[in-house]
Amino acid sequence: MPHPTSHLTMFTATLAFFAAVPVLAVDPGPVSDPAPANSFATNVAPFLQTHCIGCHSADDAEGDVALDQFTDSAKVQQNYDLWEKIVRLVRDHQMPPADESQPTSEEIIALAAAVDTELTKFDCSSERHPGRVTLRRLNKPEYNNTIRDLTGLDLQPANDFPSDDVGNGFDNMADVLTIPPVLMEKYLAAAYAIAEQVYEDESVRKRLFPHTAASDEERVDAAKRNVREFATRAFRRPITTDEANRLFQIMREAWEKDSSEAEIYTTIIVAILSNPNFLFRVEQEPAADTGGIHILNGYELASRLSYFLWSSMPDERLFNLAASGELQHHECLENEARRMLADPKARALVDNFAGQWLQLRDVSRLMPDPQAFPDFDGELRTAMRRETEMFIETMIREDRNVLEFLNADYTFVNARLAKHYGISDVDGEEFQRVPLPKERRGVLTHAGILMLTSNPTRTSPVKRGKWILENVLAEAPPPAPPNVPELEAGDDRLGSLREQMEQHRTNEVCASCHRTMDALGFGLERFDAIGAARDRDGKFEIDASGELPGGRQFDGAADLMRILRDEKSKQFCKCLTEKLLIYALGRGLSSYDRCTINDAVAALEQNDYRFGVLVASIVTSDAFTMREGNIEP
Amino acid sequence: MSIQTNRLSRRTVLRAAGISLALPWLESLAPRSGLANSTVPGAMAASVDAAATMPQRMAFIFVPNGVHLSDWTPRREGYGYDLPHILAPLAPVQEDVMVLSGLTHDKGRANGDGAGDHARSASVFLTGAQPRKTAGSNIRSGISVDQVAAKAAGHATKFASLELGCEPGRSAGNCDSGYSCAYSSNVSWSSEASPLGKETNPRFVFDRLFGDGNSGMRDKDSLRREALKKSVLDFISEDARSLHSRLAANDRRKLDEYLGGVREVERRIERTDDEPKVSIDVDYPIPKGTPDDYAEHIRLMCDMIVMAFQTDRTRIATFMFADAGSNRGYRHINVPDGHHDLSHHGGDAKKLAKISEINRFHVAQLAYLLKRLKSTSEGEGNLLDNSMICYGSAISDGNRHNNENLPILLAGRGGRSIDAGRHIRVAPETPMCNLFLSMLDRFGTPVDFIGDSTGRLPGLTI
Repeated sequence: MPHPTSHLTMFTATLAFFAAVPVLAVDPGPVSDPAPANSFATNVAPFLQTHCIGCHSADDAEGDVALDQFTDSAKVQQNYDLWEKIVRLVRDHQMPPADESQPTSEEIIALAAAVDTELTKFDCSSERHPGRVTLRRLNKPEYNNTIRDLTGLDLQPANDFPSDDVGNGFDNMADVLTIPPVLMEKYLAAAYAIAEQVYEDESVRKRLFPHTAASDEERVDAAKRNVREFATRAFRRPITTDEANRLFQIMREAWEKDSSEAEIYTTIIVAILSNPNFLFRVEQEPAADTGGIHILNGYELASRLSYFLWSSMPDERLFNLAASGELQHHECLENEARRMLADPKARALVDNFAGQWLQLRDVSRLMPDPQAFPDFDGELRTAMRRETEMFIETMIREDRNVLEFLNADYTFVNARLAKHYGISDVDGEEFQRVPLPKERRGVLTHAGILMLTSNPTRTSPVKRGKWILENVLAEAPPPAPPNVPELEAGDDRLGSLREQMEQHRTNEVCASCHRTMDALGFGLERFDAIGAARDRDGKFEIDASGELPGGRQFDGAADLMRILRDEKSKQFCKCLTEKLLIYALGRGLSSYDRCTINDAVAALEQNDYRFGVLVASIVTSDAFTMREGNIEP
Repeated sequence: MSIQTNRLSRRTVLRAAGISLALPWLESLAPRSGLANSTVPGAMAASVDAAATMPQRMAFIFVPNGVHLSDWTPRREGYGYDLPHILAPLAPVQEDVMVLSGLTHDKGRANGDGAGDHARSASVFLTGAQPRKTAGSNIRSGISVDQVAAKAAGHATKFASLELGCEPGRSAGNCDSGYSCAYSSNVSWSSEASPLGKETNPRFVFDRLFGDGNSGMRDKDSLRREALKKSVLDFISEDARSLHSRLAANDRRKLDEYLGGVREVERRIERTDDEPKVSIDVDYPIPKGTPDDYAEHIRLMCDMIVMAFQTDRTRIATFMFADAGSNRGYRHINVPDGHHDLSHHGGDAKKLAKISEINRFHVAQLAYLLKRLKSTSEGEGNLLDNSMICYGSAISDGNRHNNENLPILLAGRGGRSIDAGRHIRVAPETPMCNLFLSMLDRFGTPVDFIGDSTGRLPGLTI
């Protein structure tokens, strides 16, 4: 029985790993840009001296973590795993231990920023680190779309499968996608059902198995060609001779048992659709002589592209480019990505990427309090989700500037949503593009997002602020210390919600994080818990002014969004890139992925922030086009 | 849309599905013979001898967010304990229910991993293992008690185990402070890296248990189709093994899961060779799908457990009434507030009263399950006599997120190996896993340790 690894032994293991294995495959040499004025000495060392070295120093280091060995930036970069862990423990108030004197929130934030600065200076040219994706099975949307594109039948068989678990905010994470026995049963049942449908529909059958025989002698050949071509598309690569022979063997056995033609076809289709080469996206291991890293072959790249942008299998053109080897050229990859973004199948990126990044999938499950919001209904909820989906869809299709996310002055509404927004002259259920009222700007003022970040009865400036920091600015605040008293809702005697929150923030422990979080939320206070504009909250006049750290003042959402657009564009681009990269790769990010992110953000900045540039940068990155050998410690 | 077409009338399907079943314990007593060789405490061995030769069943039921303990814990210990507000629905089955106070899940505590108590509370519930804090890479927990039993004895039944729930897990966003949703939406783990996804649609559970043909009606065609299916399974296993040899450790784990699933299916096909000798008739309307009414949803799932046990489709089940940290509202009992929001009650009497109502509602559903088991006769007793139903939460108080003094119930008599109907208080910090060891003994699948167990739990018999 495995015993769980304790915190202490994890620390030890981390250090042992660094001691035993040279982290850098290539000697990095001197880091190209030595820290100006030695940031480590100024910003990190004093914290260590005050809070850590007492226990964690050379001779008798607690948990074998000796922090006095770190004297300059280069060592931090060599041990980035350890340093990321240190920052996490300090942020989570796990270190220093509770019975030691505690750093202030300002000290913690400053340490995190300083370490981040150290890690960002990592010299990307010093080594290649594309990372490694675990063998990944198709998730539910991918299975459905693949069956649709493989057979031409939109059967949605995966709707009956158990839910895919979510990791890193997305349901396509290789490590989290498991196959419990019940799913294997469903795969087989689905394969039988699909086979039956394919066989029963003559036009489908003729399309999938086009070769016919003019004579009895040709029958076997025609059947073999049919099977080989179908399996090649299903496995998303040419099948091997051995695989082909074994498939033919199954056909022969079925035939020898006096099976009907229907049974023979069914058996073959099931053998292919329940096969690991269909259900998993297999990528070959790098051979030992490639230094543990290799470039993916054309077929593997075709699948990476198609599952990223379409949540489905490659089309014929991608297969052809894979076969010819052209797809391994970055120019070809980029062109294909642009072609695919313009295809209707890129709608999958809205449903599966934006649907999870912005949690639009959750909007459909929300139910605001019917007493507080009697006008709310299912029609409005559907329209809310659709609005944001159309906005993102348009950004993708028209290759628009991604910063419009923050401050676009247009959106998409139908009659129901237009009424909710107080926009006149929109009739019917069809959505149309309209200019926004002057207080509303960008996706953060879409009703769905505002509702998603509210409580059922009232707004929550904290939730809204936290959501923006986590999902839009890549600055997730640390968790609140345990046993923080909750804000009491609805007790007017204590003043307006805002006044109560300001009292809450007089507590210094809370203040340092809440200052930013609350300010962002206050800026959106002129929208109620279902995203309708308002001037009052009960008996209180709304005050939507605020001040961001650094002293930038604003009043209301439009003002706030303009500031975010002008001053936080880099953070937004970084956040969007991180989320899209996680989704594209199907794995969580590591420190070395900074290089890919920085490149993509730079490309955005140099190319008018076009969405297609971001996608092109990702699909031509090492992380996307290469594979690394097993690096699990 | 579902492509699993099933347009037959209920009666036809019942006939065709063949809910006329073998009672295999009349022919095979394999699990019990395993017990004889094991190191079981003397007192228990004696009571096992006295037990009829019936198979034992076990189920584990998870409820989220802790409970309002002062409305849960009986004041009196021993037989005839009082039933506080939350436990009151258990009155009709009280003599079959043991209240266990004082158990602890130490590995549900942060132990250096910071926030994320809710995710931990589900992943630790049946494993007693500290989950690795990760949002998506290399998830690790431990094998769960139900799966320890399933691996040792699951071959005796058509399904090694059943994993059920009412919530399908989150479809977006993060679940809890840096923990993957895999930790908060599963309690059953077949290995340290493989959570077992649960089925939430009663209709699918029914189809799975009872919908795949009657071995009494096996003709030449069905034998041929079975042979073809076996050749498909051979083919895909061979492909999986061939991939297995070419890939690295992380990838192999995924293929192991795949191969495990294929083996389960193969085993089921082979089992049909030795099917019914004695049959019983179960008449049950096929569930239409997932009902909107939450209570109805839970009760349907409970019915599935009862029928699966009764017909010996499986002897092991887990059931999450709701996922860890669930923020479901309970409008139908006049508590529209989100459960998780409420659980951070800050000592507020109004919120605590609402939490008590939610806790009581859940216990009432448990009472339904127990009554159903008890009213199903088996041999000279009933199904509940031959079951162990463990119910509870791995968080004690939802406000403090503490993991000691957990609210735990053990219902059923484990084949007369448990003196039920008492409230017992164990020593502080006694690992919950000690209870699991004792349950595994009684189930006939003893092991030396599980999770953070330190020994057997004393006092289940007098």
